[in-house]
Amino acid sequence: MDVRNVQTSSSKMHYRRKSLSAGGLTLALHAAIATVGLTTLARAEDTSSGTVSEKEVQSKLAYCEVCHGVSAQGFHGYYPIPRLAGQPTEYLKNQLQAFVERRRTSNIMFNVGHVLSPAMIAALTTDFSELNPKPLGGAPKENIDEGKKIFESGIADANVPPCASCHGPEAKGNGPFPRLAGQVYDYVVNKLTNWEKERGQNPASPDTSAIMQPIAHSLTQPQIKAVAAYVSTLE
Amino acid sequence: MLAPWSEPVRSLKTFRTSRAMTERPPALPNRRAIKTTRRRSALIVAILTIGVVGAGRAQYGIAASSQDVQAKLSYCKDCHGPSAQGYRGYVPIPRLAGQQPAYFENQLKAFIARRRTNNVMFNVANSLSPSMVAALAANFHSLNPPPIGGAPQRFVATGRNIFQNGMPDVNIAACAACHGPDATGSEQIPRLAGQLYPYVIKELTNWGKERGQNPARPDISAVMSPVAHSLNKEQIEAVAAYVSTLR
Repeated sequence: MDVRNVQTSSSKMHYRRKSLSAGGLTLALHAAIATVGLTTLARAEDTSSGTVSEKEVQSKLAYCEVCHGVSAQGFHGYYPIPRLAGQPTEYLKNQLQAFVERRRTSNIMFNVGHVLSPAMIAALTTDFSELNPKPLGGAPKENIDEGKKIFESGIADANVPPCASCHGPEAKGNGPFPRLAGQVYDYVVNKLTNWEKERGQNPASPDTSAIMQPIAHSLTQPQIKAVAAYVSTLE
Repeated sequence: MLAPWSEPVRSLKTFRTSRAMTERPPALPNRRAIKTTRRRSALIVAILTIGVVGAGRAQYGIAASSQDVQAKLSYCKDCHGPSAQGYRGYVPIPRLAGQQPAYFENQLKAFIARRRTNNVMFNVANSLSPSMVAALAANFHSLNPPPIGGAPQRFVATGRNIFQNGMPDVNIAACAACHGPDATGSEQIPRLAGQLYPYVIKELTNWGKERGQNPARPDISAVMSPVAHSLNKEQIEAVAAYVSTLR
């Protein structure tokens, strides 16, 4: 991972170098050497390397929000695009890593995740975790009660545990477990339906997504829709 | 018939106009009888009009007859091309074929509400009943002519890359995330496949000046503002060339 950081930093230097004069070139080289040095240092101390300016963070946030919605409440593009607002930072970081390592398949998010420095990831995930817009809405209302029951009590006969036991009674998530409260209805339906095809795709690097696999597998389509409708209404 | 797509206020004007006409002094005494009859029929038509509009309004529009729809379609195609594949008039006129009905309807409303500025389309849209709009939207959506073509081929590969992957290191989102990997669009997000090269360039270049122009009524066009703003001229040309080739 540290090797990748070094590569990212030097490719960024490339970008800046274009706008620099010939004199700046030497400076950039020094900076690159310094960056390599710092990264090694950071590795020794096991802290995240590099810094990122407030302006860079704001530009990147605006870029994320083009698809994820102006307050990161989610959006209906061609695909249902998930809410990031209020999501635990650990889950967000893990998913960005999962896209980059192809544990989770999404070409668009692979490209997005690939260019983010650890400092940028830290800034973005903190920002998103602090947002709290209203849910996007739009789920069918008729199965919400059934969804609430499954969420809080599970379906013992089908070996489905209560969702609340990991995602919390208010579906706020915790650590690696995602927040589901206010998540976009179609997105949740889509994820639960395709769990095994999208998550845990790198056999060499198994991850926490394995926990959800038998559960997603045991839920019927009407049960998935009911749970998705319920969580999508939670604030 | 005038009535179905007129607003009640406007039909009241029609009513006043017909009265004013009838109040003119008769030119020749021997024509008075004919005039009186005409005057009466004008009045009856006006009253009927108000009645029909009232009823239509209550039912949210009167169904447009198939003949009306065909006539209107041929009128649209005067400018948008015989298969709605788009046309190069004085300005580039967009392809409507295969367009998403929700986007199509929203744009017509945007012209009327002056959220999207275009005098020609303001006038066109203003006379359409809701049922006519729905019929047109469904009809255009069902068409699938080949793209009109004409974009420079050398931009296509770069355009494909921007469209499918975006440029994450300079914060340009992948067009495919919202417009779909085949650029077919979804609901209020337009189909771009086969859209005219010069039209896409014009829209992306002038986004902030043409869309979302009614501050009291912000709309979904706001999503594209930062994207259009961050694309430079070469990137716009590349993306426009790529989508214009898609079927």
